[in-house]
Amino acid sequence: MTDKNDLPAMTFRLDRRQMLTGIAALGVLAGSRGALAQGPKKIVIPEGDFAPVPIAIPNFAAGTPGDTEVGVGVTQVITNNLKRSGLFAPIDQAAYIEKSINIDAPPNLNNWKSINAQALVMGRMTRQANGRVKAEFRLYDVNTGQQLAGNAYDTSAEYWRRIAHIISDQIYERMTGEKGYFDTRVVFVDESGSAERRVKRLALMDQDGANVRYLTRGADLVLTPRFSPSTQEITYMEFGQGDPRVYLLNIETGQREIVGNFPGMSFSPRFSPDGQRIIMSLQQGGNSNLFVMDLRSKSLTRLTDTPAIDTSPSYAPDGSQLCFESDRGGKPQIYVMAATGGPAQRISFGDGTYSTPVWSPRGDYIAFTKQGGGQFAIGIMKTDGSGERILTSGFHNEGPTFAPNGRVVMFFRDPGGNAGPSLFTIDVSGRNELKVPTPGFASDPAWSPLLS
Amino acid sequence: MKVKVDKTLAASIALHVLVIGWGLVTFSTKAFVMPEEDSVAVDVISDDQLSHVMSGQKDGKKNNPKPLVEKVAEAKPVDDAVGKIDDKKPPVVTDTAPPPTPKVEEKPEEKKPDPPKKVENKPKEEPKPDEKKPDPVKPDPIAEAIKKEEKKPPPKPVQQAAKPPPEQKPKERVFDQSKIAALLDKRDPTRASITGDTLNSTAALGTSKGKAADNSATWGAMFKQQVERCWKKPYGGIEAQQTEAVFDVKLKRDGTLEGMPVPEGTPSTPYLRVYQESALRAIIECQPYKLPAAFFEEWKYFAPVFTERKT
Repeated sequence: MTDKNDLPAMTFRLDRRQMLTGIAALGVLAGSRGALAQGPKKIVIPEGDFAPVPIAIPNFAAGTPGDTEVGVGVTQVITNNLKRSGLFAPIDQAAYIEKSINIDAPPNLNNWKSINAQALVMGRMTRQANGRVKAEFRLYDVNTGQQLAGNAYDTSAEYWRRIAHIISDQIYERMTGEKGYFDTRVVFVDESGSAERRVKRLALMDQDGANVRYLTRGADLVLTPRFSPSTQEITYMEFGQGDPRVYLLNIETGQREIVGNFPGMSFSPRFSPDGQRIIMSLQQGGNSNLFVMDLRSKSLTRLTDTPAIDTSPSYAPDGSQLCFESDRGGKPQIYVMAATGGPAQRISFGDGTYSTPVWSPRGDYIAFTKQGGGQFAIGIMKTDGSGERILTSGFHNEGPTFAPNGRVVMFFRDPGGNAGPSLFTIDVSGRNELKVPTPGFASDPAWSPLLS
Repeated sequence: MKVKVDKTLAASIALHVLVIGWGLVTFSTKAFVMPEEDSVAVDVISDDQLSHVMSGQKDGKKNNPKPLVEKVAEAKPVDDAVGKIDDKKPPVVTDTAPPPTPKVEEKPEEKKPDPPKKVENKPKEEPKPDEKKPDPVKPDPIAEAIKKEEKKPPPKPVQQAAKPPPEQKPKERVFDQSKIAALLDKRDPTRASITGDTLNSTAALGTSKGKAADNSATWGAMFKQQVERCWKKPYGGIEAQQTEAVFDVKLKRDGTLEGMPVPEGTPSTPYLRVYQESALRAIIECQPYKLPAAFFEEWKYFAPVFTERKT
């Protein structure tokens, strides 16, 4: 209402209006720019299904004539490892357009795209002047053309399998984002003979079933072997002349010793994560309690004191807690307590009984054997007891052990009757159950940590 | 030796040759040409969503779901729903019109809020003082205004008009530029009422997008379906549940990538890196994408979000 209605004033006002309009126009322009700055339209692709990565692994080239065999061998071991992991789908070599490729030149990616490979492994084995073997490999992303990994190793010729496992681990780690588990070994109880006169020997093999070695002769019954996380040692229980005892065995030297000297039975031993202590059950009358023994000072510490059977202890990877099986509540269940002892908390509440708990090296799960309704199942639960998941179930599955990356569980299955037990692996997701090749019947597997 | 030819046979052969020959020409195979895909976006949307894509008006309420309807009649678009409704015959301005008060004088200029577009090409909204408001329904406003000015006893200077009691001065016909002001249409701007099938007294603000429909549900689903075929999602266990990878993707008209998709952010964990790489591989491997050409402007630049987050 302040208008003066005279023309000069009006003209001035018009100018101001024009200015305002101009500013308004700028504002609109700025607004539209702001809208652009919000970025492109988002298209959500949620929860795609997990799928194994198609990978091409042509035979490793022979750097020197005569190494063709080892090159093919390495390729086969890698292919087998990756395939068994369930996370890779190696493409049949028959489909390859290029059968052998030179590792020194960048690969012709179109040849691998056309067979739908997403990853390509190429390598070469070369005999050195000193008789050792040089192994080289490169891992390519076929779609981006990027080299994802590449390395060279120098080893004596007889260890070519280990080189293949190490390369497998590198590929696995680069493609899945997790540590591999191929360069590992498994100790187990080899069983032979009839069901009545079963001979049980401690045996050691690569995780893929190769290179089986026997550690005991089979005169005495052996059970529950466990790997040391830091040394080349195994602890296990053996029925000798008197009571069953916990033994410690050096797998390199074959030297063995009894752990401690107690009256009564000692059983279900396991190493602490630092490898310095062994935790086990000691029998006292009708009960058994958990004790931990320091391997250097040989001092023994009591962890539980209950009129119940406490057994199968297993440490958390950080060593601060442990889980174990106890029937203090009536039926065997899984409990968790501090590594120094004290009050224990029950974490298993499902139907049936729970036994042989094992804490994952990754720390996220506890695997167990669950018995109920005539079934023995292998399952995992979170460390607070939630999220219980049965991986496999049937007659007599028992004794889970984790691969060092916590992704795979190995256990044994005994169909009963005249047949004996065999070893199996299964992914913690419950997928990809596979039999592990062993020379005879096998039970009580224990996975080693990564060797390298 | 003369060969005896059966005329009917000859005719038959001739006819057959003719028919087959004609068939050869007309039924000859032709490459099956797929016409350029010009799909129609069909989205099933609720009433509620519909109301959100409606155009609104700037003084409306934000969440009013229905369009403004002032009169029940056949729906008719109204460009600007700001002015006063003028459904009746426009009032004829005569000399009995009261002398202009400051308020009325001010109206023509003040009435129009001026968004920039109006300045450009709508002369009727240009608030020039020397131009009459064109009003189609009004017989001849200029003539009447002039008539009115003539009849008006004093040619009032605009300054005087500002003073509430207008003085009566001896009439003298002189040119006074302030007279021009009298030519102004002093009525409120008018318009036809907004019609529709149901009355609704509240105006809707509409959305910023207005009538521009968002077809990303259509082509987004097509992209998703295609890229999923190539995606070998790595298995990540427990910690995978919060994983997400976003890319900036630019596509050419033929559905191929204009350049390498650009991942947003650097992965903080090995698994996130692997997840991002697996998605990148999938985007590259599955091109070219078959997306409706009609929406090229929408899908030439977008951001696929590969996610494990359950929302």
